[in-house]
This record gives sequence, structure tokens and C-alpha cells, in this order.
Amino acid sequence: MKKIINNPNDVVEEMLEGLSLANPNVIHIKGKGVISRKEKSGKVGIVSGGGSGHEPAHAGYVGRGMLDAAVSGNVFSSPDPERIIEGINQADSGKGVLLVIKNYSGDLMNFTMAKDIAEMDDILVDYVVVKDDVAVEDSTYSTGRRGIAGTVFVHKISGAKAESGAELTEVKRVAEKTIENVRSMGMAMSSCTIPAIGKPGFVLADDEIEIGMGIHGEPGVARTKILTSKEIAKNLLDRIVEDFERTTTIRNEEVAVMINGLGSSPLMELYILNRDVQECLTEMGIKVYKSFVGNYMTSLEMAGCSVTLLKLDNELKDLLDAPSDAPGFLVK
Amino acid sequence: MNLTNRDYVAYIRKISQRFEGCGEYITALDAATGDGDHWTNINSGFLKLVEMSEELETLSVSDMFKKIGMTLMSVMGGSSGVLYGSAYLEAAKVTKGTDTITLPILKNILEAMLAAIMKRGNVQPGQKTMVDALCPAVEAFSAAIDRNLPEAEIIENMRKAAIKGAESTKDIPAVRGRAFYQANKGVGHLDPGAVTMSYQLDTLGEYILSAL
Repeated sequence: MKKIINNPNDVVEEMLEGLSLANPNVIHIKGKGVISRKEKSGKVGIVSGGGSGHEPAHAGYVGRGMLDAAVSGNVFSSPDPERIIEGINQADSGKGVLLVIKNYSGDLMNFTMAKDIAEMDDILVDYVVVKDDVAVEDSTYSTGRRGIAGTVFVHKISGAKAESGAELTEVKRVAEKTIENVRSMGMAMSSCTIPAIGKPGFVLADDEIEIGMGIHGEPGVARTKILTSKEIAKNLLDRIVEDFERTTTIRNEEVAVMINGLGSSPLMELYILNRDVQECLTEMGIKVYKSFVGNYMTSLEMAGCSVTLLKLDNELKDLLDAPSDAPGFLVK
Repeated sequence: MNLTNRDYVAYIRKISQRFEGCGEYITALDAATGDGDHWTNINSGFLKLVEMSEELETLSVSDMFKKIGMTLMSVMGGSSGVLYGSAYLEAAKVTKGTDTITLPILKNILEAMLAAIMKRGNVQPGQKTMVDALCPAVEAFSAAIDRNLPEAEIIENMRKAAIKGAESTKDIPAVRGRAFYQANKGVGHLDPGAVTMSYQLDTLGEYILSAL
């Protein structure tokens, strides 16, 4: 294992310390894994979080127009309720707090337990669960679909709505609307190593990729030989579009596109993929309103990408375009 | 049987020792179907409890369980942390005002823990989780008490049911957690959470038998 670290057990706190030193608008609540805005918004608070290792998610999305606080657990492991309650307290200005939870068993249990405890202290808390990964079948019986890069759009849109002074129910409504209209699909080319474990979580051969792999290395839908960028674009988009068309329309609609890197895929490759995704979308008759290319929801040093489409209407466009000073998603 | 705090803390030391010695095995099980961090998390949780053992011995039974729950919740983290946290917090509720743990009280504790885990995890038996070790153990315990079996036999039945329950997870497809995402839902692999749960029940039983 080659990593720029001091001690595998200290990576989360040391990372957050470094992050807060790089961003004068946030504070790091030491020992609690919480990054929050220095000044309370006076509005509905938005809190998100989850395991670490997905930077800039989630602490990089704390800022005006986006999250009020982000709560980090250990690498790939949900934060505990005590930490989440700290995040809720930091974010609460008396108008309630919305939790944006990615759909994993651990996150769901810890965030809902924190909600139960915070409500005993008379803080109004509600939550939404993001499940955008079309690689997994949705189901009410099982945990169902995972939350991946599409979560960043939920942060952006609910954050913008909260910034406008909207009530908690309204903020939740636009968050739910975003969740309904966002789909993602990923692809991994190499494994990653959790610092405390020291060995890669899985192995992919030099010429192998895995379509649909999750952001913690969860198994995907197919392992294949390496594909070209054009083939990858088509493969991922076909599945996303097919999933949209099961419940709604997507052709002739306008979308925001996110080409997300998983950690060690160079921007050069992400831009090539963006070119091919856009070409593919044009052929499919889907209009691109805005594109985002970069590392938004990573998986440590995993190589690979995910593609996210958010179907837009005028309300979502306005909220997407609203300013954000979160370093992970700057909008002027 | 009449366990004091001191006994329960002695059990915590024993199970922590057992966890210390099975790192590679549990991590390998977890790497097959999970995140690979279950052992690290549970081991650090119980090591923390051992570190606090003197403090735990001075508390009431209920406060001891509460402290254990809060500690496991924050030190273990992840799914197991909140589940063990919920279990011990519920155990604290049903032991309010008790000084020692008798067999019927232990039955209440285990039942409360099972209910708490099933509620928080939204999980039923047969879904490849720790519940598949705990649920049959609780059932065997209750059945043995109802039949007025000797104490040693009640405990033995509980231990056996826990171990057998953990082994049963090998053939069960997962619906929760990471194993669910695998094409075969983890069939053919033991659930590491069920295995570590069975270790706890087994070691608790072993300690009780040695103390009877």
C-alpha cells in the first residue's frame, strides 16, 4: 500500500483538518467527523454524509447554496448517530433540517437513528434517500438501489431551495423531485485499498473492466474486456435511458450530465468520455442543458467513471443554476 | 445463575480476546461478500470496552448496558455499530432497577436485543444477517426455560442454536447490506456478522457455565 498518510486510523480526521484549512468558510468539529458552515444559514439546514473515501463528497459540498454540514464516517463506513446528531445541531437554525442519505443499509440505519434522537431534542428533521444507481434493481423488499454520484445534484438542488428561504416541506419536495429524475451508472477499471485494511478490496485483470460496479467496489452487472470510450458511453447510457423509459420520458427532454471520475482516472479520459456521451445523447435525441466533468463522488484511488443524467424542468434548472460557494461544486 | 456487572465485564474481556484471535478469518469472510471491515470495527469496539472495564464495573447493570451501547455505536460505526448500539440500549431499558442478571432476566435481555436489531435493521430471520444467529439462540433459550430444563442445559441449547444459526447463513441469499449486490447474493458464503454474533453468544454461554 502506497498512500500519503501518517496512520491508517487517523486518515479521516487528518483529511478534514486539511480540508478546513483550505476552506475559510467552514469549521471542522474535531473528533466528530463534521465539517459545517462557519455561520448558520438562518434557513432550513441540509446535512449529508456517509463513509469517507468519496472526496470531495461530502465535506467538499459544504457551502452557501449547498450543504450546511457534512458528516464523515470511517472509510466506506457510515458515520455513527452521535456524529450525525452533531451535524444536525450544527446545521439547525430553528427551521428544521433535511438529511440527504445515500441508499445503503448502514447509512439508512445510522441517519434514521440520529433523526429519532434529534427529534427528542425538538429539532425538526426530515430525510430523503438517494437511489440513482441503475446497475441495481430497485426493490421494496431489499435495500435496493445504491446512491452514487447523482447525490451531488440532490445536494445542489435542495441546497439552492433552502437558500431561497423555503420551508422544510418545500425543500424536501425538490429533493424528492431530483431523486425521481436522476439516474447513474458506473464502470470500474481498477480496485482500491481501504487504508486500515492495506490490501485491494477486489482484483481486476489488466485488460478487464466491470460495468455497474458500486462506489465501494460492490459487484456490478458484467465483467468485460476493456472497451473504447465510445463503447463505454453507449453501454452506460443505454442502461440509464432504458431505465428512464420504464417510468417516464427522456428523449426530447433536457438533461444535466455529470461525467464523474472515481479517483484515479485522469481528466483527459473524462473529457474524452464526455465528448462521446454528448455525441451519443445527440443521437438519442436528448438535449444537454449543462455538463459537469470532474471528480465528484470518488472511490479512493479506483480508476473508472460514472455517468449521471438529471432530467430537468424549469424549476430544477433555476435551482441548478443558483450560486454555490461549496468548493466541490462552485457556481458563480 | 446470578451474574453481576463484574461477571459481564469478565465476559467482555473473554470475547474481546476471542475477537483478537480471529481477525484473518473474519476479514476473509467479509472480503467475500462485504466491505472487509467488519472485524476491524467489532474488534476495536470490544477493545474499547475492555479499556473501560473498570468504569463499567462501577455502574448499575442498566447503566453498564447503556454505556456499552453508546460506546459500540460510536467506536464500531457502520451498520454493526448502530445495530449493537440499539441492542444494548434496549437491554438497558429492560434491566432498569435490577442488580444482577438471573436466567429469566438474561432471557429478557436477549429478547430485547433481538427486537431492537430487527426493528433498526428492518430485518427478519432468514435474510443472511446477525439475526440468523441471535434469533434461534433466543428461541432455544426461551423454549428451554419454558420446559424447566437445568440451567446448564438451557445455556448449552442457546450456544448450539447460535452456532448452527450462523452456519445456516451459508445457504441464504442476502437482501440487506453489501452481499445483496452480488449476482448470487452471497450464497455459499457465511455472513460474517452472524458468525461474530454466534461467537458472542457462545462465549457468553461458556462463561456462564464456568461460573455456575
